[in-house]
Amino acid sequence: MPLAVTVNFPAALQPAAGGASLVVREAVASVGQLIEALERLAPGLGKELDDPLYNVAVNDEMILHAVDRHPIADGDRVEIVPTMAGG
Amino acid sequence: MAVRDRVARLLDEMPREAQFPSQGATLFVDLERRETRQAFTPLAVVRTVLGGRGANMYYLHRLLDETLTPLDPGIPLIFGSGLLTGLVPSAARGNCTSWSPESGVLLDSNAGDYFPSFLRMNGFDHLVLYGQAAAWTLLMIRDGVVSFEDATPYAGLDNLDMREAVARDVGGTWARNLAMVNITRAGENQVLTSGIMAGPKAIYARGGPGAKMGSLRLKAIVTLAPTRELPTAQPYKVYNRTIAQKLLATSVVKNALSKTGTPFLYKPSRLLGAMGTKNNQETTWSDGLDAEHFDAHRPGMAGCFRCPVNCRPLNDLHSATPDKYDQGDGPEYVTLGKFGPNLGIDSVASVIRLNNICNDLGLDTASTGSAIGWAFELFQRGIITAEHTGGITLTWGDAETIERLLFQMARREGFGSVLAASTRAVEQGHYPAVALKYRIAVKGLGQSDPHDARILKAFALGLAVATRGMDHLRNRATLEINARINDNPVFKSELYGGAVSAEPNSYVGKERAVRACENIYAVGDSVGMCRFTTKLFNSPSLPGLPEFREQLANVTGLAFTDEALEQCGLNVMGVERMINHRLGVRRKDDTLPDRWFDEPNPSGPFRGERIDRDEFDAMLSRFYAISRLASDGAPEDAWRKELVGALGRDR
Repeated sequence: MPLAVTVNFPAALQPAAGGASLVVREAVASVGQLIEALERLAPGLGKELDDPLYNVAVNDEMILHAVDRHPIADGDRVEIVPTMAGG
Repeated sequence: MAVRDRVARLLDEMPREAQFPSQGATLFVDLERRETRQAFTPLAVVRTVLGGRGANMYYLHRLLDETLTPLDPGIPLIFGSGLLTGLVPSAARGNCTSWSPESGVLLDSNAGDYFPSFLRMNGFDHLVLYGQAAAWTLLMIRDGVVSFEDATPYAGLDNLDMREAVARDVGGTWARNLAMVNITRAGENQVLTSGIMAGPKAIYARGGPGAKMGSLRLKAIVTLAPTRELPTAQPYKVYNRTIAQKLLATSVVKNALSKTGTPFLYKPSRLLGAMGTKNNQETTWSDGLDAEHFDAHRPGMAGCFRCPVNCRPLNDLHSATPDKYDQGDGPEYVTLGKFGPNLGIDSVASVIRLNNICNDLGLDTASTGSAIGWAFELFQRGIITAEHTGGITLTWGDAETIERLLFQMARREGFGSVLAASTRAVEQGHYPAVALKYRIAVKGLGQSDPHDARILKAFALGLAVATRGMDHLRNRATLEINARINDNPVFKSELYGGAVSAEPNSYVGKERAVRACENIYAVGDSVGMCRFTTKLFNSPSLPGLPEFREQLANVTGLAFTDEALEQCGLNVMGVERMINHRLGVRRKDDTLPDRWFDEPNPSGPFRGERIDRDEFDAMLSRFYAISRLASDGAPEDAWRKELVGALGRDR
């Protein structure tokens, strides 16, 4: 089971997260469980993350589908990445 | 038949009075004879293709003589504002349309800022320009009155100096009562990647519209008039508040567009291994260009007429020895990608400086970056040498040389004259034929955005079928990269009108996503709505067909159903394909660069991914089936007859 997973947030989510990053120190095995743990650490953050603007990158690889089932391991670096289109 | 005869015949069919409240006239401008005539777009045309981009297609369809060449003065250059332009929040856009001298197919480019709105406030929805002026000319539209002014004193001016000179001479104030579209030296010199500037950064960019305007010897069109309210069928401002609230409440606007602008997209593309790098030889690049590294250089944000979003980042390099390129507007994501990873540059300051130079020189950063990246790869491979470049060594990441090349391009000096030929460098004899193997272009147009679409099959299909060539702004199913939407199949099916695979690299159902996006974006362009704030491009929550329908009823009094609007979007694409068909475009041209079929993606979580030719062909066939396209890429016969019935015959 994971001992520590660091999650980094973009500026727009930092007020809800209480800072630029959070360290989750409880047993989580997937991104879905990680988000539940984040909600326990920062109530309201889970709702903010339930937004199609935000994707999840694990160890610098962005997850495009089946995100909640994506496995998380001890020491993983997780980043919330705003995703949009441009011209 | 000469263009004047075509115009005369068309005018005979057009009404002389407005067909609905808020409709402006179409002004036909004979630059050679310094004559103007005006009439109004027929109601049947508006019912079929709306206004803006859609009605522009009506005018090109009726006036195009494909026996000429794109830069012949008998080929018109057409400006059109959308039916809601200037009236609805974030609807500040207009299109310019012609036959592209760069690609050889349809030229259709969209811009915002203030000109499209101010054109309407002078009483005009469309301008149809043709004939070559005897000398450089400025078309002045002052309180609805049109005059031809001598632009000789402005010849040779680039954008910064031109804007300063015109504001001084005309006496208005930008963004209050004065707006302009203008070309630079690049347009005067008919550089094929030159655009028509519509503001400090706003540009009708794609397909060489600057070269086309230069071929008419038209330096600028200036509008001067106080902002005024257009007569509408019924009150519309209450519903405007609903739209504005919807815009500002949408997460992508609130948390991204209005704070940082489009450079946010760089990081997802990089993390995905989809960042076109060094002319798409590689697919990821430095984290040093992530959006947060631009924060220190962004003193504020700016925006278009009556848009509450303000998504355009301003920039300031804070150089110790500043020059006129120390401050400016942008960059957008496209410029960041095309002048960052595409050219092997990893310096924020270099990207910003090159962006500011392109804005001044009036160069389309997409086509210009593509042309330079192509040349650099050819040099890397030894296909061209210092003999071709006038002794210049082309080295990835060499920002100083790239800056020098931009000025050479604008002036058509030295190797810049080769780069100014853009995708046509082989056809014009500058490069050997083998160079085409490394050209990242479709239908003769270099790729608009830096996204390498070997992974996302919906993106790839969109780039292949876009009517103006390889451009993401026509139909990009951006939500394909939003995991929360991919993981909600019911919602995703509702968005696109049928099942679309959740897997980004699957071919299944992707034709539906592209079809839906192409329809709604064509409607958005035709009413004047910004792409960034149109549903499906950046969010499922932004204004879409119901909001357009509601305000069309309020502003014009014309009743549309959502289904009728969607059909209008499809019709716009259909007319564009009819035009392209006359220019020789066929199904074989709805394709992608060989590299994406033949070379696997070299990095990222989708390493090894490429486009399978058979799967792509099957996806294209499905797209044709749901788009009512025949095997030659044009509308099916019955539909084509319907369109001709509404728009008239093409000759």
